[in-house]
Amino acid sequence: MSRVRDSERLPKGISLLLLLLEPRHRDLFAGDLLEEYKRFVAPTRSPASARRWLWSQAFRGSLVGLAHRAFDLTASLRATLSGGSRGGGGSMDMLRQDLRYAARRLLASPGFTLVAVLSLAIGIGANTSIFTIVNAVMVRKSPMADPGSVADLYMYDEESAIKFDPMSWPTYDALSELTSVFEGVIGYEVFIASTQMESGSDPVMGELVSGNFFSVLGIQPALGRAFLPEEDEVADRNPVTVISHSYWQERFAGDPSVLGQTLRLNGLPFTIVGIGPERLKGMIPGVVTDLWVPSMMLDHLNVFGSGQTDPDAISRRQNPNSQSVFLKARLRDGVTTEQAEAAMAVLALDLRASNPDDWETAKLVAIPTLDVSIHPLADKALAPVAALLMAVVGMLLLLACTNLASFLLARGADRKKEVALRLALGAGRGRLVRQLLTETLMLAGLGGALGVALAYWTIDLVLRFQPPIAIPVTFDLSIDGTVLTFAVLVSLGTGLLFGLLPALQSTKPDLAPTLKDESRAASGGRRGASLRNALVTAQIAISLVLLIGSGLFVRSLISAQSVDPGFSAPEAGIIGLEMATSGYTSNEAEVALQELRTRLLSDPGIDQVALATRLPLSAMVLTNSFVISGREDPAEPDGPSVDVIMVSPEYFPLLGIPILAGREFEAGDTGDAANVVIVSEEMARRYWPGDSPIGAQMSRGEEVFRVVGVTRDTKVRTLGEAPRPLVYHPVAQRYSSMISLVATGPASASEIVLTLHRTIRGFDRDLVIMSETTMSEHLGVMLFAPRMAAFILGIAGGLALLLAAVGLYGVVNYSVSRRTREMGIRMSLGADAASVRRLVMVGGLRLVAVGSAIGLVLAYAGARFVGSFLYGVGGTDPLTFLGVPILLASVALAAGYFPAYRASRVDPVQALRSD
Amino acid sequence: MTSRKSMGEFEQLLLLAVLRLKDEAYGVTMRREIEARTGRSVTLGAIYPTMDRLEQKGFVGSSMSEPTRERGGRSRRYFRLKPAGLEALHRARDSFNSMWAGHEPGQEVTR
Repeated sequence: MSRVRDSERLPKGISLLLLLLEPRHRDLFAGDLLEEYKRFVAPTRSPASARRWLWSQAFRGSLVGLAHRAFDLTASLRATLSGGSRGGGGSMDMLRQDLRYAARRLLASPGFTLVAVLSLAIGIGANTSIFTIVNAVMVRKSPMADPGSVADLYMYDEESAIKFDPMSWPTYDALSELTSVFEGVIGYEVFIASTQMESGSDPVMGELVSGNFFSVLGIQPALGRAFLPEEDEVADRNPVTVISHSYWQERFAGDPSVLGQTLRLNGLPFTIVGIGPERLKGMIPGVVTDLWVPSMMLDHLNVFGSGQTDPDAISRRQNPNSQSVFLKARLRDGVTTEQAEAAMAVLALDLRASNPDDWETAKLVAIPTLDVSIHPLADKALAPVAALLMAVVGMLLLLACTNLASFLLARGADRKKEVALRLALGAGRGRLVRQLLTETLMLAGLGGALGVALAYWTIDLVLRFQPPIAIPVTFDLSIDGTVLTFAVLVSLGTGLLFGLLPALQSTKPDLAPTLKDESRAASGGRRGASLRNALVTAQIAISLVLLIGSGLFVRSLISAQSVDPGFSAPEAGIIGLEMATSGYTSNEAEVALQELRTRLLSDPGIDQVALATRLPLSAMVLTNSFVISGREDPAEPDGPSVDVIMVSPEYFPLLGIPILAGREFEAGDTGDAANVVIVSEEMARRYWPGDSPIGAQMSRGEEVFRVVGVTRDTKVRTLGEAPRPLVYHPVAQRYSSMISLVATGPASASEIVLTLHRTIRGFDRDLVIMSETTMSEHLGVMLFAPRMAAFILGIAGGLALLLAAVGLYGVVNYSVSRRTREMGIRMSLGADAASVRRLVMVGGLRLVAVGSAIGLVLAYAGARFVGSFLYGVGGTDPLTFLGVPILLASVALAAGYFPAYRASRVDPVQALRSD
Repeated sequence: MTSRKSMGEFEQLLLLAVLRLKDEAYGVTMRREIEARTGRSVTLGAIYPTMDRLEQKGFVGSSMSEPTRERGGRSRRYFRLKPAGLEALHRARDSFNSMWAGHEPGQEVTR
């Protein structure tokens, strides 16, 4: 009884298999399968055998169903194309026969079918996964209406780092008035804010947009309305928001009653007026935005980029020097981008007159939006990365396909006699080729379906990697129509390309020797064998290249992990705050932080608390230029630019950064006292060579700072960097509204983070929390890139090894089966088992040796290219270049051993009789 | 009029199964009936497309049952033979019989 209950439902894999069937047959099939299993099979067989029955029925049934489906589909297509009057013509019957024949042949050798389908699934799956990413970032366009008439507008400056620069909101306003060429201009910039919920704060990523954003792009909200023009006219007046479809689903469970409700962003209530359409993910390709807000609300939301928020500063919405807005314009009918640029050139002259610094060398350019993926310059940088990734997975697919071709060649040789007989009896060669191709295409179709399933799984895995940014970014990596089309085309191409060659080879008319059954001829001829050998050699070479790549990146990861960052506080908890947007002035913030510190220190789990504007190895960097007294340089009137951070006195002991000379910061280093700084060892070495910097002066504008101490170097921006000059200010002398609290104590890091959170919430429920993390998580983020590279290449290398091993096994195994008679003769003449094994394996190992040699040369040539991506190992790391071939050789030995063992167990009498 | 085209062997087996099973003809029973009598293993993947075709020819009719727990909440599709189907079966048997007429068992194979 219990056995029946165990299987109330069909296993998931079977449900997937049933997708191959005609939709209206699926439930019937599943019902019958389940009923028969429960009533007749499970009660009378062992559980294992019952399961086998279930799977084999499902597998065979789905394949046969698929063949029927394909037949019906082509029949109806054919009927539609020919006007439906040809009624049961010969070619239809032929196709049907071909399909049946193919299905039957695939079922006849399930082992072959399984290995072939799995190889293809791995190859197609890897390609589909990578293409999903490339598609999301570089191919997919945002769903605007008539994108052909939309252009990206940039401030083009040859001297700027990114050449195609964003602009300021005032420039946006000016461009909007060029109505002679533009139907409408939109501006948008990204912001990060925090929403307050019962459970605490929750960072969201949004876009500040001009009021005409939705109407100019021609995008209708899924629910509610878009912004009204008057909602983006007056600063701070209209706190309204359109939330994205995905945010609506996640945060509000798709509840339509959210319209009209409020959402607090950085403490300010915003009214939700609309919900974006599902297709609109945001303006940055590959990244999902949570909401849109009118640009006039900018000063409430933008906390990034502005560094220190100064309440007296001019609103960023009105500040021509704050250039962070991206623009798109819809051109009037018949207006070209050249005409638009001509119109903008006039405007650029005005801009240059009013703001010569920024516009000295800059001009305004318009580029058709369809020609830009992310950003004109980024596109140029990303294209080779995308090409590299596609090349890696392309190699994997090539491996899978060579396996398939090699198997098919072997099978073709097996069938040589059948084929020759049919040719002799008058069958057309075209027909035979078509039959064999049908079989390959069916394999490719199955492999493709499984490959797409594999891609879903891989993408899910990739999404679990959090990139090294303080806020959680949601990537939009969905498998859409483009990706599916790609997968179908790859599968079809694979099937055709790699099926055609073996099909042609095995139907080459060469009847007489084949029909006479000469076993040498039956083994596929020397050309067939050498083609198969060449394929396996290529496989070994490719997988060696991939394995060396993954070896290098794994070694790089290991050495990156063992770098000493120059500080240590593994059990520290960190919480990032933004005081200005929570309504604190600098004086209030100072008092509040002092109070928070006292409260935290009263917790028994915490015994040290420090403040810092930035932790080492954070993504955000603040640099300042300092004039160093006695070292003024006329070529560099502002002095050298160095990284700066502001810290409290407790920072150095807490992070274990020793003071090498002079003193630490003291409680007396406040705003009223003289300005002091501590510099890093590298800073001292570089700017006061052979001298002590203690007591030296440096200045920034009017402010003068006296150096009171020197610390040991720490890594500042990345683990891989050379020592970098760094200046520490006391946080009491230089305020920043973005600040992190770092705490350690007897409690564990995660407990400390909780205590930090609870204490802050108890102090002020609406204080904006930007990030919560432990020190080890913070450092782990730095390893993101090497981890990702090692992960991707490691998987690719592993799969390549697997595929190559399967290919080698296939070839050795096949040669053994063809040479059974020879083995028999050798053994009856006195050869012992060991020498037969050696004979078989030497053949296989020769291929491995040649393939490895080629692979090593290729890998060595490619080493220069990856060298710059590596940390702590050279591109030609001897350990990797030695170790990988040894690994490959051992796997190859294993793959060759089993067939060789089989050969040595041949019974000479049987072998001689059999052939 | 019904099609006078000859039926394939598999179609005949399915129709005969429906005939024998009377009111109890659906996927599971038909499959088991054919397997028990002929020793031929039939896959469900082939049954439904073929039965669809036979239904289109007017040889069988079908109806859905209430969903059952045993089938995971799915329905059975019961088939019944229509007069045209019965006629087609008879015709098929007649043509075979006339071809066999006059041959004794054991006579047909020459070694």
